[in-house]
Amino acid sequence: MIELKHVSKIYPNGVEALLDVNLHIGKEEFVFIVGPSGAGKTTLMRLLYREELPSNGQVIVDRVNVTELDSDQVPYLRRNIGVVFQDYKLLSRRTVYENVAFALQVTGAPRSQIRRHTMQALELVSMLKRSSSFPEELSGGEKQRICIARAIVNNPPVLLADEPTGNLDPQTTYEIMELLDKINRRNTTLITATHNKSIVDMMKRRVVQLESGRIIRDQQLGTYSNS
Amino acid sequence: MSLLSNLEFFVVEALRGIRRSGLMSFVAIGIVIISLTVFGMFLIFMANLGNIVSYMGSRLDIVAYVEKDLNADSAQVLEVAISQIPGVEKVAYVPKDEAWKSFREEFGAKLDLKDVIAENPLPNAFSIKVRTPELLPQVAESVAKFSDVSEVRYSGKLMKQIQTLVDAVRIGGAILSLLLFFATLLIVVNTIRLTVLARETDIYIMQLVGATNSFVRWPFVIEGVIMGVLGGFFGILILKFSYEAVIIRIKSALPFLPIVMDSNILTFIYLSVGISGMLLGMLGGYISVSRILKEKE
Repeated sequence: MIELKHVSKIYPNGVEALLDVNLHIGKEEFVFIVGPSGAGKTTLMRLLYREELPSNGQVIVDRVNVTELDSDQVPYLRRNIGVVFQDYKLLSRRTVYENVAFALQVTGAPRSQIRRHTMQALELVSMLKRSSSFPEELSGGEKQRICIARAIVNNPPVLLADEPTGNLDPQTTYEIMELLDKINRRNTTLITATHNKSIVDMMKRRVVQLESGRIIRDQQLGTYSNS
Repeated sequence: MSLLSNLEFFVVEALRGIRRSGLMSFVAIGIVIISLTVFGMFLIFMANLGNIVSYMGSRLDIVAYVEKDLNADSAQVLEVAISQIPGVEKVAYVPKDEAWKSFREEFGAKLDLKDVIAENPLPNAFSIKVRTPELLPQVAESVAKFSDVSEVRYSGKLMKQIQTLVDAVRIGGAILSLLLFFATLLIVVNTIRLTVLARETDIYIMQLVGATNSFVRWPFVIEGVIMGVLGGFFGILILKFSYEAVIIRIKSALPFLPIVMDSNILTFIYLSVGISGMLLGMLGGYISVSRILKEKE
C-alpha cells in the first residue's frame, strides 16, 4: 500500500529530517511511527500526502508514485488519503456538518451524496447530535472527532494521523484511539505518528521508531520503547 | 464534477467572502463605480466629439461664388469645367434664391431677417465637394482661376486643426482609460486579496482534502465578478441619469450642436461599461487568488 525507497529529506536550511528511509506498509495495517520531537515523524507523513517532496528516493502510495506526480494530479492523490492533525484544522466559521461536508464538496460530489456520507461519517465518530454546532463550542476531543470525520468522509484507503492525541487528556486519548482502531478495522490503512508512550504500549501494533531521521526499529506488536 | 453542480457552492462561498470583508468590499465596489463612470463619460465624450467632427466633415465643401451677371448657359459650362478638376467629387449649382431660403431656414427662427435685409444679398454659387479634406486647398486654387468665379471659400484649415485636436484627445483618452483600468484592477486585486488572506486556512484545508486549484479559484473569481457587475450597474445608472440631465441643458443652450442621442450608441457605451466592470472583477479575483496558490507550490 505504502512504500518508501531510500527516502531522504534535507531541508534548504540543512536540517536532515529523514535519511535513507525504507519502509513498506501493507494494506489495512495499523502502524505507529514513534520517536522524539524532531525525529522526522511529521516529515514522513507530509511526504505521503505530498505536502513535501523528498530530496532523494521514491514514495509510493496505493500504486501511485507520489514523487513523480504532476502537481495538477496532487488533488486526486489527496482524495485517497485522509489526514488528522494535532491542532484539528477545522474551519471556525463553519458548522460541524459544513466542516465535514467540505471535504466532499471539493470533489464535486452531488448534494444528496454529500449529505448521506457526511451523516454517516458523523455517526461513525458519534457526533451526529453536534452537527449544527461551531468548532469553538466543542471540546478538544470533540474537535478531533470532527477532524477524523472529515478525513474519512470520502472513504480513503489510507488515513494518516499526526499526533492525533497531542492536545487531549488520557481519557479522551483512549476514546480517540478506539475510534481510530474502529476505522482501521473498516479496511483503512492507518499510520499514526505519536510520542505518547501509553497508547502505543496499550494498542500493541506495529511500531516504527525514528531517531534523527533514521529508522532504528521496526517491530510487529511492539511497544513504545525497545524492551 | 461539472461547473454547474458546483455553482451554488461557489456563489455561496463568494457571497460569504464579500460579507466577511464588509467595508473593504464596499470600498472596492465604490472605486469600481467611480472608475467606470469616468470611463463611461470618456466614451460618451468621444462619441460626441466624433459626431461633431463627422457632422462638420459632411458640410465640408468649397463654395465658389460666381459673378452676378453670369447667365445660365455659361454657368452650365463652368459647372462641367469644375467637375473635371481632379479631386472633385460633386458639383452642385446653388441659385441665389435657394441659398437665401436655406439660410433663412437655418437661422430665421431666431430673427426675422426680412426686417434687417430686404433684398437677397447672396450671389449664385457652386457647392463643390472634394474626396478628402486634404484636397481642399488645391481644388480651391484651381476653381479660383476661372474668370467667372468671383470668390472661393472653404473651411479646410479649421477642419485640419479640429482633426488634430480630436486625434490628440482620442489618444490621451485611451491612455487615461488604460491607466484607470489598471488602477481599478490593482484596487480590486488587493481588496480580494485581503479576503483571500483571511481565508488562507480555508484554502489550505481545501487543498489538503483534494480540491483542485481551479476549484479553489472559482469562488474568488465569482466574488470579483459580483463586485464588478455591481460597480458597473451603478456606474451605468449614474451615467444614464447625469447624461440625460446634461443633454436637456445643452439642447436648449446650444441647439445646433449635434449631441449623441442615438440609443444604439448609448446602449453600446453602457454595455461596454458593464462588461468592463465584469472583466475587471473577474481578472481581479483571478489574479489575487492565483498569487496565493503560487506561493503554496
